[in-house]
Amino acid sequence: MKFKIFHAPDGANSGSGDTDTRVLTPPPVLHSADPDAPTKITAREVSVFYGDKQALHDVSLDIPDKTVTALIGPSGCGKSTFLRTMNRMNDTIPGARVVGRIEMDGEDVNAKSVDPVLLRARVGMVFQKPNPFPKTIYENVAYGPRIHGLADGKPELDGIVEDSLKRAGLWEEVADRLHSPGTGLSGGQQQRLVIARAIAVEPEVILMDEPCSALDPIATARIEELIDELRERYCIVIVTHSMAQAARVSQRTAFFHLGRLIETGDTEDIFTNPRERRTLDYITGRFG
Amino acid sequence: MTWFFLPILIVASIAAWFGARGLAERRQRGIHAHSRPAQFGAWALIWTAVPALVVLIAAAVFGPAIEGSLIMGGAPEAVSELDPLRRGAFFGDARAIGAGQPATQIWPAPYAELLPAEGARVAGIGRMLDLGTVVLAALAALLGALFVFSRIRPDMRARNRVEGWVVALLFVSSAVAVLTTVGIIASLVFDSLRFFASVPIFEFLFGTQWSPQTAIRADQVGSTGAFGALPLFAGTFLIMLIAMVVAAPVGLFAAIYLSEYAGPAFRATVKPVLEVLAGVPTVVYGFFAALTVGPAFREFFNGLGALLVGGPLDGIGQYLMLVQNQMALVAGAVMGIMLIPFVSSLSDDIINAVPQSLRDGSYAMGATKSETVKRVLLPAALPGVAGAMLLAMSRAIGETMIVTMAAGLAARLTLNPLDTVTTVTVQIVTLLTGDQEFNSPKTLAAFGLGLTLFLVTLALNIIAQRIVHTYRQQYD
Repeated sequence: MKFKIFHAPDGANSGSGDTDTRVLTPPPVLHSADPDAPTKITAREVSVFYGDKQALHDVSLDIPDKTVTALIGPSGCGKSTFLRTMNRMNDTIPGARVVGRIEMDGEDVNAKSVDPVLLRARVGMVFQKPNPFPKTIYENVAYGPRIHGLADGKPELDGIVEDSLKRAGLWEEVADRLHSPGTGLSGGQQQRLVIARAIAVEPEVILMDEPCSALDPIATARIEELIDELRERYCIVIVTHSMAQAARVSQRTAFFHLGRLIETGDTEDIFTNPRERRTLDYITGRFG
Repeated sequence: MTWFFLPILIVASIAAWFGARGLAERRQRGIHAHSRPAQFGAWALIWTAVPALVVLIAAAVFGPAIEGSLIMGGAPEAVSELDPLRRGAFFGDARAIGAGQPATQIWPAPYAELLPAEGARVAGIGRMLDLGTVVLAALAALLGALFVFSRIRPDMRARNRVEGWVVALLFVSSAVAVLTTVGIIASLVFDSLRFFASVPIFEFLFGTQWSPQTAIRADQVGSTGAFGALPLFAGTFLIMLIAMVVAAPVGLFAAIYLSEYAGPAFRATVKPVLEVLAGVPTVVYGFFAALTVGPAFREFFNGLGALLVGGPLDGIGQYLMLVQNQMALVAGAVMGIMLIPFVSSLSDDIINAVPQSLRDGSYAMGATKSETVKRVLLPAALPGVAGAMLLAMSRAIGETMIVTMAAGLAARLTLNPLDTVTTVTVQIVTLLTGDQEFNSPKTLAAFGLGLTLFLVTLALNIIAQRIVHTYRQQYD
């Protein structure tokens, strides 16, 4: 199967002028893509095997910097697997094998010379279920800087912790209880704590694997707001089950189905004018 | 003889099962019945077997007493006047003669003449009682079966009746387990109280002199008996400490390796091997300690002593030259080896129970495996691991065979690992083995020690389970 790798947005097609009777309820798209954003991550012919089972088939995708890219698709379609190839988290799964080429800033992340430990410091990750460590809020955020030796002395570490919590929008809620356990926070606060933990090591890319699926709508709205703010500084890739969420937070969307990348493009285009029948069926809720 | 009835009862019960099932099938043909035929069968089986078994068990429990009073009631005057011990012996021989066997002793006049007649009478009473038991049991089985067969109707709730019996069976099983434990504790407490009546509890807990030999006859000298258990507690504690120094780090590190680093193939081989090691009888570890480790340690320390003698450390050298096979270090080290699989198996389960999401979170931050283990997994697993250590400690305290064989018998108040020491468990063994009279402080001391040991391990286990329990809740 052959795919157009980078589908350049054309302004003429972005509005709702061409009323499409096939689309039942296209979710509203909030942010347009920046066509000048440089490419941060390039994936070429990436396949992933778990033992004998192939979970991902020849995926080629360009992910622009300072942009939110949403990976959508039904369960088991390989979107999380693809996400995990970008920080080599698949290395931690016994029997997992990745073929193909993934470049970050032109550098092959699977090269022998790349230490996955250092790669993961550059590519932060937020998981489906909030997973704060059983430590204090402060220690959770200080975890990365301590491991990677980013702070000289306590005052600098304090600064990093405060700054990260502020950027994650959690500072005001926890400033007076930094030394109480992180596991005592609410689900939404825990997820923002985990985001603060990820950005404390100054990553370039943040991968989010269904970050809101365990949260209530208000906490979800808060995280989505935060994702939009973080877009200014980071390249963000988010896996989501919610079409509405993809439409709200992302500028680029890639649709996966049965381990293959079906279609990719500007979120506006994907949601208003998909080229593939399967994409249309999925975003209008006919399957998935 | 009543036990010949058992096979008959089994056959009858099975017959009741088939009969009730067949009858129920016929009676509920074409009707939507509440219970299935097999449930009527099970119900009939229970009601046939259980009443008869109750009769048999009652006969086994109360039979001897009834038989005894019947025999005594008809005894000739000469026999009744005998003292109880002789009387018992007489009826024992009468029973033997009644069964056609020779008497165990030669009885003087009037008794020798009385024996054959009494033998016949005793045998008759026995036969009568046996017959009565069997008839009663058969009657009970019959009545039980009739009870069920008269109630086989389509609307009879045999399903729920059988369920009730199942619940009763399960309840009785758990009650037996609990009640035996309560009985053991009661006997411990009761006999300990008798012990503390002769030895003050303060002297027992804090006395430093342990020499439990007491004078049996008034003219014996040199065995006054001293029951200060402090040296035993010290010895127990010392050996437990040495065992934990060996088992805690090795077991924990083995668990970390198995759960975090080992490949599936290695893990699949080593884990079962470790679990087999945990099942090796402690007596095997005991003679490994006594015959292999003990002499090896002695030779090592003797050799070291020989090197030091004459030098600036002459005193230490002299001491080391005299070290014996049996010492706290040998028993503690071997006990530690015994506990390694126990600690590692428990810790491995606990570390595995830490959610994968925490590992993922840590790896995604760019942490290495050892950083993840040290900073995330161990803190998360710490309460559980602490619980595992406490359980290991309580095992070390209760362990008997290794210390009996490798630590010696001298009750010495010392913390020197090269000394022979003795433990609470070893003393209980020595106090209660061989011929003993069961009302001297010497034997009763064993119950005092047992109660103390029980309370200590109970406390450790309760603390350990509390810790493990609170830890479990954290991730559910």
